[in-house]
Amino acid sequence: MSTKTVAAPQVSRGKAAQVRLQKFGTFLSGMVMPNLPAFLAWGLITALFIGVGWLPNGILGGFGDADLPGAWQGAATQLVEAEDGTTFHQYLGLVGPMVTYLLPLLIANSGGRIVYGERGGVVATIATLGVIVGSTVPMFLGAMIVGPLAAWVMKKVDSIWDGKIKPGFEMLVNMFSSAIVGGALSVAAFFGIAPVVTRISDVLGKIVELLADNHLLPLMSVVVEPAKVLFLNNAIGNGVLVPLGAQQVVDSGKSLLFLVEANPGPGLGILLAYTLFGIGAARSTAPGAIAVQFFGGIHEVYFPFVLMKPLLIVAAILGGATGIATNVVFGSGLVGPAAPGSIFAVLAQTERSSYVGVILSVVLSAAVSFAVAAVILRATRRRDLALAAAGEMDGLEAAIAQTEANKGRSSSALNALRAESDVAHAAEGHAAEGHAPRTRPIETIVFACDAGMGSSVMGASVLRDKLRRAGVEGVTVTNTAVAELSDDVDVVISQRNLTDRARHRAPGADHRSVDNFMKSPVYDDVVAAVQESRRQAAGQEATP
Amino acid sequence: MSDVLVEERVLLGGTARSRDDAVREVGRMLVDAGAVLPGYVDGMLEREQTAPTYMGNFLAIPHGTLGAKEQILRTAVALVRYDEPVDWDGQPVRVVVGIAGAGDEHLEVLGRIALVFSDDDRVASVLGARDARAVLAAFEPAHPA
Repeated sequence: MSTKTVAAPQVSRGKAAQVRLQKFGTFLSGMVMPNLPAFLAWGLITALFIGVGWLPNGILGGFGDADLPGAWQGAATQLVEAEDGTTFHQYLGLVGPMVTYLLPLLIANSGGRIVYGERGGVVATIATLGVIVGSTVPMFLGAMIVGPLAAWVMKKVDSIWDGKIKPGFEMLVNMFSSAIVGGALSVAAFFGIAPVVTRISDVLGKIVELLADNHLLPLMSVVVEPAKVLFLNNAIGNGVLVPLGAQQVVDSGKSLLFLVEANPGPGLGILLAYTLFGIGAARSTAPGAIAVQFFGGIHEVYFPFVLMKPLLIVAAILGGATGIATNVVFGSGLVGPAAPGSIFAVLAQTERSSYVGVILSVVLSAAVSFAVAAVILRATRRRDLALAAAGEMDGLEAAIAQTEANKGRSSSALNALRAESDVAHAAEGHAAEGHAPRTRPIETIVFACDAGMGSSVMGASVLRDKLRRAGVEGVTVTNTAVAELSDDVDVVISQRNLTDRARHRAPGADHRSVDNFMKSPVYDDVVAAVQESRRQAAGQEATP
Repeated sequence: MSDVLVEERVLLGGTARSRDDAVREVGRMLVDAGAVLPGYVDGMLEREQTAPTYMGNFLAIPHGTLGAKEQILRTAVALVRYDEPVDWDGQPVRVVVGIAGAGDEHLEVLGRIALVFSDDDRVASVLGARDARAVLAAFEPAHPA
């Protein structure tokens, strides 16, 4: 990407926008993809244990009365009001806390990590809790904004005193600065971002209401589908469509509004397209997600698949609009809300004369979203595979390519490293997925030794001194135990006999081995590599 | 310098003639100082087996493995200087710095030692220092950081 910008400064605006959209998609996917297991776990638990689930369980599903005699004791409960106005203790359960806290916090952590490593992830998570409890709307949108933003702020704050901290105090300063920044940002998100997201949710609901009132029904998908993948589905479904639908049932005995959000067709189409034309983990997860989505009625599991490739929202919109149009043509509808939106719940609620229309609306919407999603996935498949090969999914490979590019030649040592990485990857699968190719300047260097208390401290001190003398600023040199090494650093330096272990812990980093911690030629190489990477980055930025 | 490395824990003219004896010698000083339990010294020896702590420029910094960390009572550093080089896996060692690091207090001291031993002239000043006080003085920053 850098060479393209440099070689052809007059890239067309459309092309540039396309590149930016791709990068954005990669970023979204990096936030969502690693957390897919949590989405699925939540989907399974929800499909099983909620009141209308397959194994309803008031304790796990969070609807049971804990005040009843003989009720399970000790679990977290909340005070709720019963229909008769009395209050009772209701189990909190797994379903609510998972979707309210767990999933947004995981997304925030991944987003923060992409921007600023483990430290960014922690600050992002702290800040995001503010936006979660600042609103009653599920905060996926909030997490995706606040998480990366908080990590970016931390990065900027750190750069203020980078390299100016007295040796020995780095840990103290780092701990407290991130604690203070994280805490302050959570307060800021609580009052600053949460109301904005609440407002967005309200406005979307108003638009849907307006469209329904004006009989522009298929157009509702343009609002409903994007809102769904941002987890605003319940706000719009239960807040707007269900009350309007209930009104229509009173008037005409049925309503298609119940199906606007609950139709499992569009999601099914997208997941089928991934099953056939996706790549990597997304492809292998899609069939399982279909079961949870289509039969379990937990639509949320397909949202990540759209988030990682935002263009797919077009497929969801067209699929949804097709479903609505079908119901309009057949005059079909449901007699009550289908919740959760599983095919069984939909059929159970179908008005007696509406089976043909309702079933067709599900089938046709699935077919349309599948067709559109298939075209999109196929069109981008080659590029996605190339990206995966070039490093988006394989940080080590990219690091090697980058190192080679820096050196301008291919070395036998790097080839050996590459061979080793192939072996490691065959074993690890896509463990390193989500790594962006390393085209940014070297910013973090870590010395790793066995216990993290001796050799690595000395090496880090010496290198820090060398960088300072060379006039290099803005590079963090730290030390750690190999076992505590994380894969979010640029360069790892270790004793020769520990390098293999270090490489397994941090496959995405550039690894160097040293024999003599006090006076190693490696230090001068690293200083030169840092300066070179900065020059390149500066060159990129200088080019419009 | 802070109380991590003090005059009482600087020994000039150590008697050990082998790597393992040198580790025991400096380990003994850490035990006597009440900084570590005797088991920590085994951890130090174990560490030398897997990855010798020879740093270069006549310096070795024996310390325990990650697993031996729980044997540390408090952070302390001890230094032994040898008049004749000790054979450290084929490398000549004249200064042995034993480390018991529980938190981060020792990082500053180690950082200073590292900077001294990465500079040949300053290494000479440590090797030639007349007494413990002079050794410690050699580790004082040569220029304001």
